[in-house]
Formats: sequence, C-alpha cells, structure tokens
Amino acid sequence: MVRTVSVVAVLAGACGLSLVVGSYPIPPSDVLSAVVSPGTGAADTIVHHVRIPRTLSGLLAGSALGVAGAVMQGLTRNPLAGPGILGINAGASLAVVTAIALGVTAAGDYLWFAFAGAGAAALLVYGFGSLGRGGATPVKLALAGAALSAMVGSMTTVVTLLDAATLDQYRFWAVGSLTRSGADVTAAVGPFLAVGFVLAVAVAGSLNALALGEDMARSLGTPVVPVRVLAASSVLLLAGAATVIAGPVAFVGLAVPHLARILAGPDYRWIMPLSALLGPALLLLADVAGRLLVQPEQLQVGIVTGLAGGPFFLYLVRRRKVAQL
Amino acid sequence: MPLRRRRNSVPIISRRAAAVAAAVLTAVATACAPPPPEPASTSGEAISRDNCGIDVAVDGPPDRVYAAYQPAVEIAHALGITDRLVGTAFLDAQVLPEYVDQQERVDYVPSLPSREALLEMKPDFVLSGFNGFFAEQSADSSVGTRASLRELGVQSWILSPLCPSEDGLTDRSIDPATVTVESIYRDLRDLGALFEVEDTAEAVISDMRRRIGDVEKRVSGAERPSVAIVSPNDDGSYGVASGIDFGSHVIERAGGTNAFADLSDTRNIDIGAEELVERDPDVILTDACCNADLTRQDARSEVDAILRDPALADVTAVTEKAVHPFLFADRSAGVRAAHSIELVASILHPNRVD
Repeated sequence: MVRTVSVVAVLAGACGLSLVVGSYPIPPSDVLSAVVSPGTGAADTIVHHVRIPRTLSGLLAGSALGVAGAVMQGLTRNPLAGPGILGINAGASLAVVTAIALGVTAAGDYLWFAFAGAGAAALLVYGFGSLGRGGATPVKLALAGAALSAMVGSMTTVVTLLDAATLDQYRFWAVGSLTRSGADVTAAVGPFLAVGFVLAVAVAGSLNALALGEDMARSLGTPVVPVRVLAASSVLLLAGAATVIAGPVAFVGLAVPHLARILAGPDYRWIMPLSALLGPALLLLADVAGRLLVQPEQLQVGIVTGLAGGPFFLYLVRRRKVAQL
Repeated sequence: MPLRRRRNSVPIISRRAAAVAAAVLTAVATACAPPPPEPASTSGEAISRDNCGIDVAVDGPPDRVYAAYQPAVEIAHALGITDRLVGTAFLDAQVLPEYVDQQERVDYVPSLPSREALLEMKPDFVLSGFNGFFAEQSADSSVGTRASLRELGVQSWILSPLCPSEDGLTDRSIDPATVTVESIYRDLRDLGALFEVEDTAEAVISDMRRRIGDVEKRVSGAERPSVAIVSPNDDGSYGVASGIDFGSHVIERAGGTNAFADLSDTRNIDIGAEELVERDPDVILTDACCNADLTRQDARSEVDAILRDPALADVTAVTEKAVHPFLFADRSAGVRAAHSIELVASILHPNRVD
C-alpha cells in the first residue's frame, strides 16, 4: 500500500515537472493558475497547447506501454518481452512509412495503418513462434520477433531510401516523441486504450495461472487459448495506440513491468496497475530530461529512453532472479 | 591527410625546382653563349584555386561537370557552362526563371547518384551545393571524400559558405566566418578562372553586387525586425535556420535580424514550439523544400500549419499575420542570394523595396 502511494507520488511529481519545465520560463505559481483558471497570455497558451498535451501524451503512452509490456511478458512468459522485442513497433513503423509513401498525410489516418501493421506483426510472430514441437515457447517467440523486426526494419529502410520526402517525414516517426500528436489524435486513440486496459485487467488473474506453465494453468481451469487471444488483443491495442501517440519508444514496455515486479512481487493483478503508474512516470521524467539536456534544442523522449534503457537492460540480464518468470 | 597534401604539392615543388634549375642554367648559359629561344607558351595551362582548404587544380577548363544541389546547378547555369554539365541532381525548388530553359537541356535526377553512378558519367569536375555529398559518414548519400575523388582524377568544389573544417565532414563543422555573400563572389571568381569564363563570372558578380547594394541602401536606417526561418516538423517540433546558415545573411542584408542568430552548432536546428514563442520573431519565413517543381505557392501549406498551431497563437509574426511563404532554396548560398535578399527585403520593408 505504502509502495502504491509512493508510486502515485512519483507520478504526480513527474506530471508537475512536465508542466513546469520548458524553454519558455514560467514560474510554477503561474503554471498552476494557468491550469486552474485559463487566461490569454503567452504563458497560458504554452501551458494549454504545449505542456498539458505533452503531459497527457506521456500519461497515455506511458501507461499503455507499461501495461502492454506486463501483459506481453505474462503472455509469453518471457522476461525480455516487450512490444519492441516482439516486432510490434517494427510492424507499426513499416505500416506508417508505407502510409506516408502512399500519400496519407493526416496524423489521425496513420492510426489505422499503425494498428494494422502492429496486428500483422503480432500474428506473424505468434504464428512463426508456434510452429514445431512445444508450441509458442518464450524462446521461439523472441527469436521469431527478432527475425521479423530485422526483416521489417529493412523493408522500412527500403521504403524510406526510395523516397526522400518520406525519409524526411519518417525521421520524426523513427524516434518517439511526446510532442507529435494533438488532441485529435489523443481523442481518436482513447477508446482503443480503454478497451486495451480493460482486457489487461481482465486477464491479469489468468496470467498468474499461466505463469505456472500451460498444463498447470489448464488443470486450474484457466481457458488457455481464450486468455491468450484476449491478452494478445490487449497488447495490440495498447502498443498500437502508444505508437500512434508517441511513435516507437524503447525500453519502457520492457523495463516498467520489471520495476513493478520488484515493488509488488509476481502477482499480475498488482503488476498491471503499478505498470500503469510507473510507465508514465518514467516516460515523463525522460521527456523532462530531454528538454533540459540540449537546450534550446530538445532530445526526443525516444532517444532518452533508449540511452537510459540500455544500461537498465544490461542490469536486468545480470539479475538472474528477475529473469526467471 | 598530410600524405594526400604532399602528393598534391609534388608537381608544384618539382616545377619550382625545374624553374630554379632552368634559371641557373640560363645564367650559366648566358655567360658563355647566346641566349636560347623563349619556350613557347602552352595553352591549357595548369591552374589551381583553393576551396575549403583543398587545392583544386585543373589542366585546362573542365568539360564534364556534375552539379549536385540547387546552388551548384544554378551557379553552373549562371557561369554559362550548361553545355558542360553531364548531369544534375537534387534540386530543392524550381531553378530561377532565368535558368529554366538551360535546366531543361541537361539531365536531371531527383536523388543523388551513388559513387559508382557518378563515376560512370566520367565527370572531371563535381560541383556541390552541400557538404554532405562528400561526407565520410553521412545519412545522406555520399560519393566519397573529395580526396578520394581526386585520386581518380575528379576535381571537386563545395560552395564555400558550406565548407566543412575538414574534407569528409558536414554541417556540424562549418566556420561561421566563411558564411558570407563575399564567399560566393570569391567562388564565382575562382570557378570563373578554373572554367575559363572569367568575364561571365565578373558580370554575375557585379550584377549581384549592384542588386544587393541597392537593397542595402534602401533598407539602411530602417528598423530591423527579428525574423525566423521556420519549418514545421512532423512531430510537432520546428526546424529553424541558425546563425551559421546562409539564411542569416540573407535576412541581415535585407534589413532584419535572425531570431536564432546566436545558435551555431549546425545550420538547421530543431526546436520546440515553446522556444519559438520565447524568441517571438516579428516575421516568420517558411522553409519549403525539396523537389524540382517547387515554387513559393507550394510553401502555402507551411504558412497554414504555422498559423494554425495553437501553441504559436501569441507569437508576434502570427498575430500580425507576418508568416510568409519562402523556400529552403531561397536561403541557399549561391547566385540566388541577390534574388532572395530582394525578396526578403520586400517582405520586411515593403515601403522601401518593391
């Protein structure tokens, strides 16, 4: 309980920083008054049209990535699973690039391409990973995901190299950023996120059973195949929506469930909500760091999480205890 | 690097040694014999010019020239060497009206050639309007360093406001002191000498001097609005032209100041909307790019995007509706400078320049 409260406090702090820190100096008290009673000055405009949307993007994408990562790890019983590692980001990116090359310009329209790409990638990875004896073992899924990511990544490169204009647009799609989407996009992905979160909560208990192994889960009365389908749908909706909001963001989906596990133990009914809180906290803190590090330029959040995530990944690999789900 | 330089200077040293030896011999000879006849002057004499710290030497005017990027293509037409172009690539916009007919006569490809494709055309001179073409490690396609081309007998030239500090480097290493209109005049004069079109080069230079001087006279003493060259990026950020971009000089000469003049890491810098609000430019010029048919009409969508961004609602340029269509090509360092300076001056000082 204390832990949950402190995680909520960290998230609140991250939101506060995200609202206060930026290259246009606004004292915290003015930020507060701009939030509470919107005025018309430049400071109010910035709070309402830059910082609040940015913070909202961080909250939504961060929770989606955190929960998607947790579901993915439970579903595949693979501690290294995350939307990135299982090819979902790569699939969404290829679809988006194809959309740009085909002349789709509105960010809201990328959404459908991103979902379709993420879905196709997930199906392919699960399909290939299930071939052969033993079904979809964690190792086979990770290998299939890595192979598909490499292949799809090359295809993305081909599309961008063939068309200079696409490359110019794609260079902003290749790196995750919280300034990308406006209120229209956030509103459009809202329903997908809601369904994704509901599905994730619904399968949390079953994922606990699955963690004991497929046979054990069956004997405990868990409907394995439906649970898998629901869990996969949840990952797809959440990871796809996060990609639409922020583009590919590395390591949040991978790292956050592990942090949640360290705080709350192996019960997915606790891991899910904690991941939903820790994900945005991490993402917003990374975004704030990106605003401060190279002023007056900014580092996109995807770069910061990538840089900071590398060492964390190594740390995870070294910590055997965590690696055994 | 030193090795390459030495290899290049060998002919010069030996030539000087030969001259000294000849002088000594002559002195000895005149002492005891009638003077030998004067050596006949050779046509197609070797000539060399320094460009970005690299010695560019030709034996006679190059006649197979490859021009990459807007400023290089336009300079080639301006110098009247259109018929020597074996190929052109990567225009940022339609060439200036006076060169449209010339451009229609030459081969053009929208994307840069690979090293192999370039060499297949057997150029003896590569003229580039951007340093990335010769960058060693560049995301842009590169045909290899200038030294590596010279080893194959291909001379090269980068328009000097884009000179990297060393062969093979890019935008991150430009010396701000070279980013001037004077550098373009020097380039024109040097290229004029290398291509043996000195008179054309001088005519182009004096035309540019006259036009730019005229603008400067008209805007002198006027208030200097702050100006930003801004391009909306796909992720909600904005690209701006920094102080080491030639656009800064276009703005200066046209009677304004670049709102981002103090930034000098690289020519193009991505910033957040907040930074643009903080700098609050009086005038915003867009930065539309990159295809061979692009005209200022096509920059309208960038104007609309900037006017529509709610985060920029309080920027002076937006409240005053002072967001104007402008092209990336218009801030390129080349013969277009006179046109661009006139254009920007007519935007900033409509009462003084028409």
